Amino acid sequence: MSWEDGLAATTRRRFGQRERHDFLVFLALAAPNILLIVAFTYRPVLNNIYFSTLDWTLGAATAVQVGFGNYVEFFTSSDFTQVATVTAVFTAATVGGSMVLGLLVALALHRRMPGSGFARAAVFSPYVLSGVGVGLVWLFIFDPVIGVLAGLLRMIGLPSPQWFNDPSLALAMVIIVYIWKNVGYAAVIYLAGLQAIPQDLREAIALDGAGPWRTFRSLVLPLLSPTTFFLLITSVLSSLQAFDIIRIMTPLGTGTTTLIYEAYLQAFGGYNRAGYSATVSTVLFALLVVLTLVQVLVLERRVHYR
Amino acid sequence: MTTQYVDRRGFLRIAGAAGITAALAACGGPTTTAPGAGPAAPEQLDYTGVKPAPEITFWSNNPGGSQAVTQQIIDAFHASQKDIKVSLVSAGKDYEEIAQKFQTAQTGGALPDLVVLSDVWWFRYKMLGSIIPLDALISAVGIETADYRQQLLADYQYGDAQWALPWARSTPLFYYNKAHWAAAGLPDRAPATWAEFAEWAPKLQAANAGLQHPFQLPALAGYAGWTFQNVLWGHGGGWSKDFDVTCDSPESVSAIRFLQDAVYTGKWAGVASKDSADDLSAGAVSATVSSTGSLVGILKAAKFDVGAGFLPGGPAATSPVCPTGGAGVGIPKAISKERQLAAATFLKFLTSPENTVTFAGATGYMPVRTSADTAGLIAKSPLSKIAIDQLAVTRVQDRARVFFPGADQEMAKTCAKILTQQADVATELAALKTTLTGIFDREVKPRI
Repeated sequence: MSWEDGLAATTRRRFGQRERHDFLVFLALAAPNILLIVAFTYRPVLNNIYFSTLDWTLGAATAVQVGFGNYVEFFTSSDFTQVATVTAVFTAATVGGSMVLGLLVALALHRRMPGSGFARAAVFSPYVLSGVGVGLVWLFIFDPVIGVLAGLLRMIGLPSPQWFNDPSLALAMVIIVYIWKNVGYAAVIYLAGLQAIPQDLREAIALDGAGPWRTFRSLVLPLLSPTTFFLLITSVLSSLQAFDIIRIMTPLGTGTTTLIYEAYLQAFGGYNRAGYSATVSTVLFALLVVLTLVQVLVLERRVHYR
Repeated sequence: MTTQYVDRRGFLRIAGAAGITAALAACGGPTTTAPGAGPAAPEQLDYTGVKPAPEITFWSNNPGGSQAVTQQIIDAFHASQKDIKVSLVSAGKDYEEIAQKFQTAQTGGALPDLVVLSDVWWFRYKMLGSIIPLDALISAVGIETADYRQQLLADYQYGDAQWALPWARSTPLFYYNKAHWAAAGLPDRAPATWAEFAEWAPKLQAANAGLQHPFQLPALAGYAGWTFQNVLWGHGGGWSKDFDVTCDSPESVSAIRFLQDAVYTGKWAGVASKDSADDLSAGAVSATVSSTGSLVGILKAAKFDVGAGFLPGGPAATSPVCPTGGAGVGIPKAISKERQLAAATFLKFLTSPENTVTFAGATGYMPVRTSADTAGLIAKSPLSKIAIDQLAVTRVQDRARVFFPGADQEMAKTCAKILTQQADVATELAALKTTLTGIFDREVKPRI
């Protein structure tokens, strides 16, 4: 063996030892987390996909393999169009509503004025409240007989709308509540975005003669696009998984049966169709994956980073 | 010799493949069977020589705010013997929540020893094999079934077996505001027929009695399928006859159209958003139909004299037109015989003549034993006599409502379309028949 070969062997051995050491450190640090993620995230997802191929009644020890039968039934059922429409309207309204209102609130809070600290806390506080508690309070507000809103309407001689019995109003009701709850989150994120816009850029555009609207449209909005992009992804994912307030305010899902609520109703709302419910959940999972990919791969290209 | 190194990518590939393989291999859930595998005959267990378990749990949703009185009965049980300790577990706020927990416990473990089963849930548990027939236990602990009100006992019988015992049993009752009645010049009684109430309604409207309507139909979720049987039976219809769905029969269409006309044509009825008993107590409406389990709550909340009466009937039938309802108590299958025996021992005590009166006095539910001394109960709450007397004219519920999974929800959805969106009655009930028949064919027929 020449001295060159000896050097190469020694280098490879040392390199291999370091690699092995790094690998063991990586294993020690990452393995517990990987195991937990596999056990409690990926495994349930895979289980769910498997259950979606079964005709399985919740609580039954046995089930019948039906392949894609549940998927065919779901996509061809009369409920599918309704569930898809409700999901789309609910998601668009809650995401759009809370982001637009959140931006407006953030613009208002961005000005320095007395009590702005309290105002920021007040605006954000609904976001950290329990959805169940929020639902119970708003149940009382919307109650058409003994509710606060009904009382106010009676004072001006108007009857209360049937918020709970009319499917369209029921959907509007839960959208209002979700926007109220989420607007503070969007406002705080937008506020952080607004505070990150450099003052020299504002001064530069002002020197160019731009007014408030032009400044907002040509400077603020483009520079807020990373914030908008982040909010869009998190809000869409959050809206598609919204459950607690819908469950509390409209337990039967009258007019408010979104995809996730349909999954709940089918398994636990009296039907006990665990296999069919798993199908709806799998469809929701696929939708979330597709939407996230579209947002990351397509929309991110339109984001302006400084 | 050359050394084989595994780089990080290689490791991740191997770990990922191993993880997916492990996950797929670990896919839990049910055992798959061939389609059409029929049900097994109920197995009556033998408890000879079995010693009761020392500790058991009782899962209840505390219907009618019964947590305190149930604990009181448990304390009395502990005082009466030292061998069995019972723990009361609040397992949900309503029948649906306790059902969810019980069903998930079938696969998740930690089953109760005694569980509250509502009228629309027990048959599902029977079909799934989650509960046991009680006949052997009834003999083992000496429960006198002959002393139970037979119509309430019969609600839990199927296939020559007794699957639960009645406990928090109720019927709907007609409640009215006596002050509104007096203002309208009406006799102090419930109407005998719905036609009679339709004649009374304009007088209540003219007297401007309630804030909203003379009559409030109960909230449709959970109540439509149950209480509307009264109107359906009165018109000669029903949700079903045995396992045949009859909700689209001319009599059934006529009955539901009567309700729709009351809302939209006569405008004397509204639909409750949450609890019609609350609307009555608040003075917003003059009358409603609600569970006897609401009796105590209504009497506590109302600031006026409350009247009550049998459910109205007609035009085809005036009696029996009152459905039974509420909940019984059953025992899970997947627990030991010792626990089952202990549970049955407590069940005997829970539904004893004395305790059924104690329970009824605290909640408004019906005493389930014929030998129960109800004199004190009636003296304390005279309206409870009406509820007890009405038991004699009750009718077992239509199977489509209580035996078909999800049928109650479908009935509520259909009634919501008819009563809150003015949908065509015949069309909606025909669609309901299709749905209910589908549920029967898919969920029930293979299992009976």
